[in-house]
Order: sequence, then C-alpha cells, then structure tokens
Amino acid sequence: MDTITVNGKQIDFLSGETVLAAVQRAGVFIPTLCHDERVTPYASCGVCVVELEGSPRLVRACSTMVAAGQSILTDSPRALATRKAALALLLSDHRGDCRPPCVEACPGKTDCQGYVGLLANGEYMEALTLIKERLPLPASIGRVCPRPCETACRRKLVEEPISIAQLKYHIADHDLRSGAYLPEVATDSGKKVAIIGGGPGGLTAAFFLRKQGHQVDVLDMMPEMGGMLRYGIPEYRLPKKVLAEEIALIAKMGVHMRNNVRLGTDMTLDGLAQTYDAVVIAIGAWKSIGMRIPGENLQGVDGGIDFLRRVHFEKVDLTGKRVAIVGGGNTAMDACRTAVRLNAAHVYTVYRRTKAEMPADAIEIEEAEEEGVIFKYLANPLEILGENGIVKRISLQKMRLGEPDASGRRSPVPIEGDIEIMDVDLVIMAIGQQNDNTGLDGLSLTKRGTIAADETSFRTSIEKIFAIGDATNRGADIAITAIGEARMAAGVIGSFLEGEMLPYRAPVLVKREDLTESDFADREKAARVKMRHRSAKERRSGFSEVNLGYSAEEAKREASRCLECGCLDYFECKLLDYVNRYGVKPVYPGEARKYAVSDEHPYITRNMEKCVLCGLCVRICEEVVGVAALGLVNRGFSTVVAPEMRRPLKETSCISCGMCVSLCPTGALLEKTAQKPVPVREELTKTACNLCEARCGIIMATRGDLHLRNLPVEGGLLCEKGRFAFLNGETSDKQEAPPEWIVRASSGKGSSRT
Amino acid sequence: MRIVIGKGSCGVAAGAGKIEGIFKAEGFETGITGCIGMCYLEPIVEVYDSDVSGNEAKKTYVNVNEKAAREIINSLLGKKNQAGKYGLPEEDAAILAGQKRIALRNCGIINPEKIEEYTARGGYAGLKRSLALAPEAVIEEVKTSGLAGRGGAGFPTWFKWNAAKNSSGEEKYTICNADEGDPGAFMDRAIIEGDPHSVIEGMLIGAYAMGSSHGVVYVRAEYPLAIVRLNIALEQARDAGYLGKNIAGSGFDFDIRVKAGAGAFVCGEETALIASLEGERGMPRLKPPFPAQKGFWQKPSNINNVETYASVPWIFSHSGREFADIAKNSGITGAQATGTKVFALTGKIRKGGLVEVPIGMTVRKVIFDIGGGIKNGKAFKAVQLGGPSGGCVPAELADTVIDYQSLAKTGAIMGSGGMVVMDEDTCMVDVARFFLDFTCKESCGKCTHCRIGTKRMLEILNRIVGGYGEEEDIEILEQLANQVKEGSLCGLGQTAPNPVLTTLRYFKHEYRDHIVNRKCTAKQCKNFICYEIDAKKCKGCGLCKKDCPTAAISGEMKEPHTIKTADCIACRRCKDSCKFNAVKVGDRKWIQ
Repeated sequence: MDTITVNGKQIDFLSGETVLAAVQRAGVFIPTLCHDERVTPYASCGVCVVELEGSPRLVRACSTMVAAGQSILTDSPRALATRKAALALLLSDHRGDCRPPCVEACPGKTDCQGYVGLLANGEYMEALTLIKERLPLPASIGRVCPRPCETACRRKLVEEPISIAQLKYHIADHDLRSGAYLPEVATDSGKKVAIIGGGPGGLTAAFFLRKQGHQVDVLDMMPEMGGMLRYGIPEYRLPKKVLAEEIALIAKMGVHMRNNVRLGTDMTLDGLAQTYDAVVIAIGAWKSIGMRIPGENLQGVDGGIDFLRRVHFEKVDLTGKRVAIVGGGNTAMDACRTAVRLNAAHVYTVYRRTKAEMPADAIEIEEAEEEGVIFKYLANPLEILGENGIVKRISLQKMRLGEPDASGRRSPVPIEGDIEIMDVDLVIMAIGQQNDNTGLDGLSLTKRGTIAADETSFRTSIEKIFAIGDATNRGADIAITAIGEARMAAGVIGSFLEGEMLPYRAPVLVKREDLTESDFADREKAARVKMRHRSAKERRSGFSEVNLGYSAEEAKREASRCLECGCLDYFECKLLDYVNRYGVKPVYPGEARKYAVSDEHPYITRNMEKCVLCGLCVRICEEVVGVAALGLVNRGFSTVVAPEMRRPLKETSCISCGMCVSLCPTGALLEKTAQKPVPVREELTKTACNLCEARCGIIMATRGDLHLRNLPVEGGLLCEKGRFAFLNGETSDKQEAPPEWIVRASSGKGSSRT
Repeated sequence: MRIVIGKGSCGVAAGAGKIEGIFKAEGFETGITGCIGMCYLEPIVEVYDSDVSGNEAKKTYVNVNEKAAREIINSLLGKKNQAGKYGLPEEDAAILAGQKRIALRNCGIINPEKIEEYTARGGYAGLKRSLALAPEAVIEEVKTSGLAGRGGAGFPTWFKWNAAKNSSGEEKYTICNADEGDPGAFMDRAIIEGDPHSVIEGMLIGAYAMGSSHGVVYVRAEYPLAIVRLNIALEQARDAGYLGKNIAGSGFDFDIRVKAGAGAFVCGEETALIASLEGERGMPRLKPPFPAQKGFWQKPSNINNVETYASVPWIFSHSGREFADIAKNSGITGAQATGTKVFALTGKIRKGGLVEVPIGMTVRKVIFDIGGGIKNGKAFKAVQLGGPSGGCVPAELADTVIDYQSLAKTGAIMGSGGMVVMDEDTCMVDVARFFLDFTCKESCGKCTHCRIGTKRMLEILNRIVGGYGEEEDIEILEQLANQVKEGSLCGLGQTAPNPVLTTLRYFKHEYRDHIVNRKCTAKQCKNFICYEIDAKKCKGCGLCKKDCPTAAISGEMKEPHTIKTADCIACRRCKDSCKFNAVKVGDRKWIQ
C-alpha cells in the first residue's frame, strides 16, 4: 500500500482524500477553522498550513490532495510561524470577552458567570460543583472575600453589581445543608505531599492535590485548621461552624490534618523534604507590622490580627474602654467592630486619608458606622503616650490630601502644627502583616523578607519545596489570591510528581475594555436584591452572623440580573483553543470590526464581531442545505457574512435548520436557549431524533437538569425540528417524511448549486 | 487627404471629441485611431496627404486644442497659419523609433472600428497560417517564440495551451483576461480600444490549438470604450467569417462573447475571474485543479491576458523564431525571455504613456532614452514595477535588465508592465502605504493573512507616515509582510507586501527617518512638514491668503505674509498658488 510520511512516520492513506483527512486519521493533529467534511474545501483560514517536502510554498492541508510519497511536516518552524500569524491576526479582529470581567478579576478565577447563571436556572448542584473546580471553601470565602469580581461586574454600568459573593455562599450553604458534595479523588498515586499551614491557601492546595490522588498531610501550628479564616476573621462575619464544616469535607477526602506542629521547632524543611515527595509552604503572614512610633511597646498596644486572635482564645471585656484602631483595611474594620461587640465605650478608627480612599469594603465601613464606630479621617498617629507603661493617650497628626501618588491615590500630607491628643486605653494597629520566617533557613527570600517563589511554577530555591500565598513574593494579600495560587501550584506540583514540571500559563483571552454606561442604556434597571441582615443594635450585642442569607427566590432573582458578559462559546471556541494551544500572543493590535449583535431570529443569535470569516455558515447553507440565506458582502477587511439582501435573517429564505451555528468555530453564531444563557461545559449524550422518519442522530447537550441544545452528530445533519423543536416542548413520535434537503444531502447529492 | 484623430480613452479625455467636432463642422471628414502611446501629447491629429505619385505623407499635430485645430484647418485650406507650432517635436518622434511594437503594432495607426484597416496591415493572416497547421504545430510555434504570460506571472503560454489541449472534454473555454486593475497600467485598454482584432485573432489561434469553441473576454466595466470597440470588432469578425461556424473553411468553430466585470482587482486572478464569470463572488480558490483541468463551469479553460493574445498573430504572420530573436536583432544580449513588453510609463516621467520595447532592455534605457527622463530636472529615485504587486527598483539598480528573472532578483516583478517613476520628492514610505492601501481595499477578504494582515500593515504604515511610528514597527512590519506572503492563498496576497518589502530593502533609512528623526526627507508626509513664507520673495499679493482653507495665513497687502503653523493643515494650496515661489516647505518642529 502507498504511504506518505508525516513528521518522519509513515502512514497509510486513502486515494482521493486530503492531506488533512489522512493526517488526522493517523491521529496527528492539524488545526483548521474553515474546514468541515460536509462542505468543499475553501482554504481561507490559513491555520492548517503544513510544510510539504519539495513544495516551495507551505500548503494548506485541508485542500491539498494526498499523493504517494509525500513527506509532510505538520509543525515545522516555518509552518508554525505562519499558523501562529494567522491566529494572531484573527485574534486581533475578534471583539468580545472570552471570559467575563468577574472571572478575570478573581485571583482564584472562580467561574462567577457560570455559577451565577446555573443558580439563575435553579441548578444548585451544578453551580456548586463548578465553584469547587476552583475553590474548596465557598461558604467561607463567599462571606469574607473583598469581592474583586463585584468591583469588575459590568452590571454596575446599569445600576449595581451582582452580589456574586453572597450568591456563592448561598449555593455553598445550600450544599452544606443538603448532602455536601465531595469531589472524586483519583486513585492513590503513591506520592506524598506535606503542606505547611492550614489556612485557605494550604487547605486549597490540599484539596486539589488530594483530588489528584496524592497523600496529603496538612501541618499547622495552631490548635485548629483554618488559619486566618479562623483566627483573623471575627465570628460575626464568618461563623466558625461554617468554616469547620468546609474543612471537614476536605478531611473527608482523605487529607490528613495535624495541628500544633510548628516549623522550626516540631519539624524542619530538610526533614519534610526527605520524607515527602513535595512540600508546599503556605504559612501566611502572621506578624502585625508596627508603626515605628514612640510608645508602640506600651501595654495596651496590640496588632490587629493579634487582637482578633486574642479575642478568639480569651474572654476579652472592653467595657468602658476607649479603643483606637489604626488603619483603613478590612482587618481594621474587623478589629473595630469586634471592639464594639466587646462592649467598648468608644471605638475610634484612625485613618490618614479619607473614607473614599479606604481600602476596606464599603459595606464594612457602612456597617461599622451603623454600629457606632467613630471614624477619624485624615489623622496619623505620632506617638502613643503612656503612664507607668500603660497606654493613656494617642497624639494624632492631622493631615490633608495632596497629589495622587503612583497608585493614583491622593497621598496624605501633614498639616503643620495641627495635632490632636485623644485619651485611649487600647491602641490596635491594623496596618498590615508580614511573615514569620522562623524555620525557613536555606530558602531564598525577597527584599521584602518574603519567600521568593517563581510566579509561574511556585518553586522556591530548594528542590521539591513550593510556596504560595501571603508568605511569598509581594506579601500579604486577600484569601482568594492565596487560593488561586494554591490551585495553580497544585497543578504544577501534580506535573512535577509525574516527572515533568509544567509551569502555569495564563491563557490568552480577548477582552473588551471599551464599554460604558451608554452601551447598556437599553437595559431595564433592576436593583440589587439586598440580603437580609441583623440591625445595628442587635449586632452590637453579640457575635451572631450579621447577614441572614438569601431565600431561594431572592437568590434566583439576584442571579438573573447577570448580564452574561463572557462568551457563551468559551468552552467550544476553536479560535481560543488554538490560540492557547500554540501560545499565540496578541502581537498585531489594530482596529477590529464593529457590528451590532442581531438576535431577531427565533433560534439564532449572530455576532459578527466574533466572526473569523471561515465561510462555513455560508457554504453549508448553500452547498448542503441548498438555501443560501447567508452570503459574503463587502471586500477586504470589511468583508462580513450577512443574510441575503441584508435583511433580518428571519425574513430570508432561512429554514432555521441551525446548520450554520453547528459549523461556526467561534461564538459568532449561537443557538438561543430556553434558559438564562450560561457558558458551561456541557454533557453530551448521543441519541436519535424521533420527530420524523429520518431518525437523524442527535447529540443532546445538557448540564444537570438543563437541556441546553440539540446538535447534529459529528459530520451529520439536522433540521429545524431536530435542532430546536425541544425548545417548544415538542417530543411526540411523528411519522412524517423528512425535509427534502435532508434526504438530498444525506444521499450525497449535495445541493443543486454544486 | 485623410484626417485621423486619436480617440483612445486618453485622447477622448484630453478633448479629442471636441476637436473632431471642429473639423466636422468645417466640413472635413475625419477618421479615428487608438492610442499611439504618447498620452502626454493628446489630443493628436494626423493628416495624411497623397502626392501626385500616390505616396502618402503624414503630418502629426499634438496637444491640439481649439486654437490649434483652427490653425490646422487654415493650413488645410491653404490659408496663412501657424499649424507648424503644433507639429510633433522631433524628440517625441524619436520615442517611437526606439520601440519595437508588436502588441501595439496597429494602435494609433489603424481605425479600430474598421476590420479592413486591420486586414490591410496583415490582420488575420496569422490565423489563416495557423489554421493550416496541426494544433500541435501551432503550440510548437508558440513554444519556439518563447511567449510568456504578459499579465504578470510570465508563465509560458504554450504550456498552458498544451495543458488545456490535453485536458479531456468536448467543451473548452478560451478566456481573455481584460480585467486590467493595476493602478498605472493601461496597455490592455489601449490594445482593445486601438486594435481589438489583434486580441480576437490571438484568441482564435489559441482556441484552434486547444480545441476550444467558446471564447469569453472578461473586461472591466470601467472600460466602456473598450467594450464598445470590442463588440464592433466581434460583429465585423463574425460578418467576415472569422468567428462562427467553419471558420475560413477549416471546420473550426469558435465565437466570443464579452463579459463586463464589476471592477474588483482580484478578478484579474484567474480563479477569481472564473468565479465572477459564473456569477459568484469574485474570490480565488486554491489551485490545483488548474483552470486547464477544471475552469469555467468546471470545463478545461485557458486564460491569457490581452497583451499575450495580441502578440500571438504576429508570431504566426512572422514566425516564432523571429519573435524569440527580437532582443538579439535589437542588439540586446543576456535577456532571459523573448519578445517585447508594453510598459505604461507614469509618475514623475517627462513622457508618460505606453511604450513597447524588446525584453532585455534596461530600466534606465526605458526611463531615460524612451521616457525622456525625469520631469522638471529632478533626480531619479526609484521606479515601481508591476503595480501594487510589484516592487520598487532604486536608481542604483537602474541598469537592471528587464526580464522576469532579473526583476525578481530586485524584489520587483514584471507584472503587467506598470512603471511608476519616482523622483527625489517622493516619500518611499508613503509610496508603500499608497500601494498597500490599494491591495488592502482590494483584498477579496477570503484568507486571513491577506484580509487582516494587509490591514495591520497599512495601520503600521499609516502610523509611520502620520508621525506615530515606534522603532519596533519596522520589525513587526517586515515580519508581518513575510507572513502575508507566505500565508496568502492567491497572487494578490502573496505579492501585496512587495512594495513594503522592497522599500524596506532599499529605503529603510526613510522609515527610520520618519520614526526616529521625525522627518520625512522627501518633505511629503503632512505631519512632518510645515509651510513657511520667504519674506524676501513674498510680494504680499494675498493669493495664498485667499486660497488658504483654514485661514492660517495673515499679512497686509504688499507686505510679506506669514503662516501660523498651528492652524496649517499642510494642504499645499499656498505653495501651488504662489507665483513668486515664496512658499517653502520645512521640517515641522516636534515637541519632545
């Protein structure tokens, strides 16, 4: 039998087939955007180029006929360069958001749009499993996270962002009450990983490494697991019962947890490295930063997290005391609101800028105000004054706002001579944390004194030892950042344990950054569904959780506000797949074509800003369906696919078979769904259509109880009924004759026009 | 006595119709002819007079305006006249002498609307000779001639004919590509307007050799005069028995129809042309299959360009050998191709128009000896050969021999024969931008590299000439240009980067000047220049002030004027209107 050589290997071929078909059949991958076996080769996308020995030019595999003796290189440097150029060019003319801004803003890359959308459709279980693909502690994190997702949420351009975090813990609470999902754990790998630190980062690393089948031991210095979530977050924000339940689930997966073991005293890095196949340092930043002002060491001066931890262990009573908290972050808010609950007479928060610049969450500030905290803005401690070693007063330098600094915040400038002296009994300095480097001997540190860890592999300077979270690189950050790093590190460590360490690579995504309020002017306003919460009076008297949760109906209503920013084709988009497979960078920035989305058709949404002009829709409609409802208009860069005579698609000869959508490699053509649209990985089930005698094969795409789409089988055809009738609930077993075009096309005759 | 008026499109545009009317009003009978190639001298009027012994003498009058027409009439009427002032200058007459006209052999000489004038000059003799030969022998003769495709690619004509001949199938198509789209090329139009029968005869010979009985001429609709004359010629050829059944008693049947194209540059690409003929969107497809196997309506088809077909009858009325030896017989050695090539000289050349020279002549000879050199005594900088698909040949390579291979070495191409001549005042970055703007707009939009790649290249060039270029732009541009060449499906995309690549090759310093030094050496790019008035030369006439569209010029009458740079849009109107050459172009000052 005749053969061709592909990348040095001989393969058989069938006469009359293309290089693409022969090579793909041999299991070698060649990407293509414009080719489909149902239509004649077109050779437009330029992605399938390969090097053919003896040919002066690269050839397009999709439309080059195979011939005996050909020698083909699918990924030669020359072919790759041209393929990547094509992908980079397509990327430059592709407008939209592969992922929504909420997901992009989340350091943990939790699929906010996904779980909010699933929740809007009532799919609690699916929403929860989706969350747990990224985050094992959603009930806890949903309560404490400063929510960069909501800051980025585009709904703010309509009125207010979606309450993403509250919806998340609503889903997670529901799960804890109703069976508690446990992910599948892979079979035992025989590898052992030690994780030092049982905070959000360490627990997340444990969760994902355990999922991979490794033996995981979490070693923590404190009496109980949870780290800062347990010892740094007050009960009224995160009930420890919730945290304990989530940690118990991780333990239930088979993660070993040991408390009261301290690095440097109970164990050493060297020792761990010898016992384990990999070690993850996730020790956090547990030392409060001082202010370097006189009087810091007086009795009655405490660090923010130290104070919160003390409250956790001791019965602290502040009755009648005057408490000053210094700082403007969430720890400062936690400390002042805790002080209120401990019955302090006066609680002051001293911050050197104004409310507008405060890094703490707005809701925390608002609730602290409601609870009676007195905010002293534009004031900076100069000295803490004491008597007999005990705090008595604090002197504050009054400030004004000067010019914006590098971060864009206006920096405070002292007002010469304007000093206020306040009587206080307790000063809590909540201005930041740093890590305790005890036991880290031998590890390279950064200039800041944090552990130096590679940002894509999380490797430290010592083989086998990885580090994540607050203790590394830029220092303390929010919990979800540590969680994100933990998940990425778990992936890297997984590959390391398998023998070849692969660093994490952030995907290349298309983003829109040009949207303003006016782009959403036509949206109906729908105010945020506020979560019920305890009154300020009730809150002051105890540590019961402030928020009281959503009802299912409230949650659904809130989730339904989502604008669905992220591309609905994210999980199927071939362009995105190839761009990331080949590591294509957006190297050719330039003007991208602008079009309005057309969704006048009952089943089809068209967004030409995502069109790669592969022509598949035009060709399947003309060549196979025999209708030609779509065509190419204009020339050059302005070329665009348009319905015939530029009329709305539903007013053309379109027969609504949706074949165009099936072949579209990107999100340019999409099916409308019966539910709130949400991009999710679908479950595909092969079945047969029973709406006529043809009994065409169907792939049912579902997620949970949602029936999302009916698709033709690979290389197959489907008519309007098979594709869309289920949307109207049509399911009856009818004995009608199949449409003429299906009969003709299936008999291989093609359309009259070809 | 015969009066012949040049009525090619160039003549008509220069006012030939009006001149014709003057003669007619005075009772003179006039004839017409096509373009002789000296477009810069149009309208041209020729007066043929026979002496007693019947010898015809010709007087040629050029740049004939109304006044000149009256003088000529006076001379014809034997009155006192100054017609001599309008005679063809010797220098220009010499231009014709330096040429070897084969494709243009009848242009500007015969009346294109009269078949008898064509046959009187040997027309259809080649057809008759070829019909006496076996088709194989016809192809052999073309092979001997070495004729190659004159539309641009230079593919051997005999090979295509032979492939079509050997393709199985009763129905075959002989197609003439008259979709001349290169800016600056107009030889195909001139040939059809001036000598349509030569194309018909060439197609007939080809069709006979290939066994084809259907012919189509695909002419762009922007050539209405060509379409009219072609249809007249087809009608006359049918009446004379050169088209139709059993042509000249040979048993060979053939007819031709005309299809007007809607004017897309890409339809000059043969597969796109076929798609357009079939009523589809003009988009190229991948070859193979070649048109010789599957062309128009999936039938074997042969597509040649107008100039190629027009050269064929000469080969048969003379011989293939004679065609092949043209260079040698003209004293040219070392040419790697045969025959002649028509060039359209445009740009900063003194004598713009159409010339036909033996292949193998140097670029310098064509521009200086035939084209008369550069306008206004400026220095020759470069010539763009091959239109937007070609490249520039810089002055230092002016001794390059014009044949397909030698030109390819410079990065340019023979192409359809457009020669855009550039002088010292031409900004080469802007030239590249101009051609890329054209190909970007004319891309059919099918393949990625061409559709988006040319757009991105154009954006970079626009940035550079606009003053916003970055140093890395040159590298990105070069890299992208190579990818567009590599990844495009058809000739349009594969050659579109040539103007950029050749200007980068020979004039990279001009790119750098724009980007690094913020300077356009040629003082052309608006964002790099400013207009100033030389107070010593300015007479204060106020013309510039009156013409300035942004009121940037101020000054009292009879006092030197000044231009406020901030308000100036560099439209150049002041410089053009100044009669005292007082407006200077300077470098714009940049705020660092």
